[in-house]
Amino acid sequence: MTSRQRRTVLSWLFLAPVVIVILFPYVVMVSTALKPSDEIFVFPPRWLPSRLAFENLSAMWVSTGFGRALLNSLIVGFGQTLLCIIFAIPAAYATARLTFTGSKLYRQFLLVTQMLSPIVLVIGLFRFIAGLGLIDSLLALILTGAAFNLAFAIWMLQSFMATIPREIEEAAWIDGASRIQSLVLVFLPLAAPALAVTCIFTFIASWNEFALALTLLRSGDQATLPLRIFTLVGGAYRIEWQQVMAATTLSTLPVALIFAFLQRRLVSGLALGAVK
Amino acid sequence: MRRHTGVSGFLAFVMILPSIVLTLWTVGYPVVDIAVTSIHSVNRFGRTTGFVGLANFAALLADPIFVASFWRTLIWTASVVAGTILVSLPIALVLQEDFAGRGLARVIIMLPWAISLTMNAVVWRWILNGQYGMLNALLFDLGLIDGPVEWLAQARPAFMIEIAIGIFVSMPFTVTILLGGLASLPSEIYEAARVDGASAIMRFRALTLPLLKPFINMAIVLNIIYVFNSFPIIWVLTQGDPANSTDILVTYLYKLAFRYGRLDLAAAMSIVMLLILLVFSVAYASMAMRSQSAE
Amino acid sequence: MRLRQGWLLAGICALALSAGTAHAATEIRVVVAHYSDATAPIFEGMAKDFEHAHPDVKIRVEDVSWDNLQQRLTTDIAGGTPPDLAIVGTRWLLDYASQDVAEPLDSYMTQEFKDRFIGDFLKPSVINGKTYGLPVAASVRSMFYNKDLLAKAGVNGPPATWDDFLAAAKSVKAKSGGAYAFGLQGKELETDVYWYYALWTMGGNLIENGKSGIASPAGIKAATLYKELIDEGLTQPEPTGANRQDVESLFKQGRAAMIFTGPYMRGQIAKEAPTLNYGIAPIPKGTTAATYGVTDSIVLFKDSSHKDVAWKFLEEQAFSPKWRTEFTLKEGFLPITKAEAADPTFANDPGLKALTALLPSARFAPLIPNWEEMADATMAALQQIYLGDAKPEDALKSAADKIDGLIKP
Repeated sequence: MTSRQRRTVLSWLFLAPVVIVILFPYVVMVSTALKPSDEIFVFPPRWLPSRLAFENLSAMWVSTGFGRALLNSLIVGFGQTLLCIIFAIPAAYATARLTFTGSKLYRQFLLVTQMLSPIVLVIGLFRFIAGLGLIDSLLALILTGAAFNLAFAIWMLQSFMATIPREIEEAAWIDGASRIQSLVLVFLPLAAPALAVTCIFTFIASWNEFALALTLLRSGDQATLPLRIFTLVGGAYRIEWQQVMAATTLSTLPVALIFAFLQRRLVSGLALGAVK
Repeated sequence: MRRHTGVSGFLAFVMILPSIVLTLWTVGYPVVDIAVTSIHSVNRFGRTTGFVGLANFAALLADPIFVASFWRTLIWTASVVAGTILVSLPIALVLQEDFAGRGLARVIIMLPWAISLTMNAVVWRWILNGQYGMLNALLFDLGLIDGPVEWLAQARPAFMIEIAIGIFVSMPFTVTILLGGLASLPSEIYEAARVDGASAIMRFRALTLPLLKPFINMAIVLNIIYVFNSFPIIWVLTQGDPANSTDILVTYLYKLAFRYGRLDLAAAMSIVMLLILLVFSVAYASMAMRSQSAE
Repeated sequence: MRLRQGWLLAGICALALSAGTAHAATEIRVVVAHYSDATAPIFEGMAKDFEHAHPDVKIRVEDVSWDNLQQRLTTDIAGGTPPDLAIVGTRWLLDYASQDVAEPLDSYMTQEFKDRFIGDFLKPSVINGKTYGLPVAASVRSMFYNKDLLAKAGVNGPPATWDDFLAAAKSVKAKSGGAYAFGLQGKELETDVYWYYALWTMGGNLIENGKSGIASPAGIKAATLYKELIDEGLTQPEPTGANRQDVESLFKQGRAAMIFTGPYMRGQIAKEAPTLNYGIAPIPKGTTAATYGVTDSIVLFKDSSHKDVAWKFLEEQAFSPKWRTEFTLKEGFLPITKAEAADPTFANDPGLKALTALLPSARFAPLIPNWEEMADATMAALQQIYLGDAKPEDALKSAADKIDGLIKP
């Protein structure tokens, strides 16, 4: 056995319990999502449905307005990520690279904004957004979500940027590039993996966000996925578990795909180190 | 000096300004709103009915459920965060190793993160259902139990399960941060250490841990903030039941505000929670600084 | 490339936003509680009919789950943008009336409109002589029993008194092979109500002389009985793990012989367990007959700027025979208007007759402030009792003290 083979076996052995615990809910989700509705409540519960009830998916798609909610979630997710990253890049660069009075205070300020959970602020937030006349608009969600994620994005970016050697930038300055030029042409490409990771963090936070959406959105047309799915569970007289699980499974897919798709790039980007 | 200090002060200001404006604008107003509400009496629909000074805070301190929730929140936060770090660190170290299927392993570890906290909790609630849940089905098939077990019926097991799920859902985020940290560590030092014949454990203690410290610190601070404020897991699984024995501050806050219509008490409680986190972060920051200067 | 994607997204955002804000001259917002997946489509149907008759009006239906309804309405009102109409639990109505949020409806109601309703259902939403809400959903609770399980246990017919109930439960446990005699709800919404049935039938009251009546002798007797049922294994194990849906699922699966539930259960059984052989009977009697009557009300908000239009929507659509019948049929509640009751589907329904017969003995939630906080205090006491963490008299006494503090502000 080569050492890599041995490492492979040991690593997977070590990860096995965690992997099982992680996959268990997915197995349950998929198994429940594909059970005919009369097989949900049987005792003792069975793992395999008597037949694969794919009609659950179409029933769920219609009853939750899944397509519209998916679109809304995508709009909010991309909007929030974009806004957040645009605001975060200069701020992160400044904290990572520039010395300025009040930089410590600024970090403290960012930390404090992280401490405010939306659930604690809902009423004030609602009044604020209502004052802007933005209740029930996705823009409100994009703005507030970006604000709540901004501190984290800055923090994340700046800790990565701090690892990029100064010499590279300084070389660009010597070549006559301005700070902004070197930031855009030299620095950002080097920070690309960090940017990608930060974008993913922000997107996921937005994708899973519930409290803000519940507070700020009103009509079914504007609802995001978590909001839609929760309506299926929250205090209804009867819960259609097969639909809930179908919706959850389906709403997981985009993020799972992002993980799978970007994993290789992320890993290589991170593992090579931004710069050697 | 090499740094363009004079210019950079102004440049820095321009660069951080947008972020300050956005956060102050969206977060500032609600905070002020809550601070004002906390010293007034307010009816259940948010209309101010009078100034009461610190009466709301006094009422909170006199409320046994608040006090119990406060202590439980500390236990909850400490257990979940400590558990998360302890679980995530070895996972991140393993995922940093080069082995076949590492990409797949990383994707799997991140999967819980692909579902919102709320839906994670909903799925777990369904799994833990005493009569129809798949956990009992599994244990039953394995011959470990012979009748339905209601996992969430009693305070102690319910709270422990909630902590475990809290760790479970915090792990992907934490592992990712730590992986990022591990990837940014300079590999030359390791090679040098390996050449010097340092064992894996020695390398970890002498090199990895200190270098990883900023990332661990970041993970701890962020997790404390998130877990302290975390609402969905406990709310979905037990709503603080039975008999308020799994209530933490944020779930009790929600009950006060939206079930009981005590918006003024809820506002006071928000302020208390914010203060707790502030005190913590100041303490933590000074601690981190002391250890930095000691190095 | 990245930049272009950005602009594209910004474009999509702008499009989506403008689509969301386009509206007709008059817009009426109706917040609808999510009873089932059928609720929103029914109200959308009403909206369509109304918009057809009044092209200048747009009705916007907002579907909210029960778990979030209070929060949604609280934030809406606190933010100064209440909807025009909303469905609320009638038990919350006092807050809406006393804090001047809901519009009294008496001046809008014609005699013809009032006559549409079956008399008793308008009463729960009358406060100080003014009507603050119209009943949209009504239910009266009763005992559902599994005929096969009782027959197997040698019990003839549903037990009429608590003594009979206890005896029947014991026979079921002994003879029906693993089925639970009594499904007892022990957590979440209406855990307290599940116990009020016993409290009331044993002669107790929620409020006695302006104070909480839960720690009365009747209350202690009721709690002791439930605890006895648990200890003797006559309920499903560990009731504090079961909420309303859990208990109802047990019954639908034929695994619990007796439960207390509402009329909506009939529709669920017809759909999910059509072969279940069940009967409907009154809650067992102690000293009196009693049950729980629940109505949900639709309220008109004082701050609505189109009260007349909103009222027209109620008069022409929401309480029209067509939509009332549709609603009651799909959601499985009791008929509220005479037109529904006369509809052959409902008039010839024996189960419905059994339920409506219970109405005279039904108690509605008292219109007192802080109802939800009292319910939670009671629930916490019950959970301590069910778990064996506290004696019935102690737990109920301390809950009653807390409630007394809530009654007098």
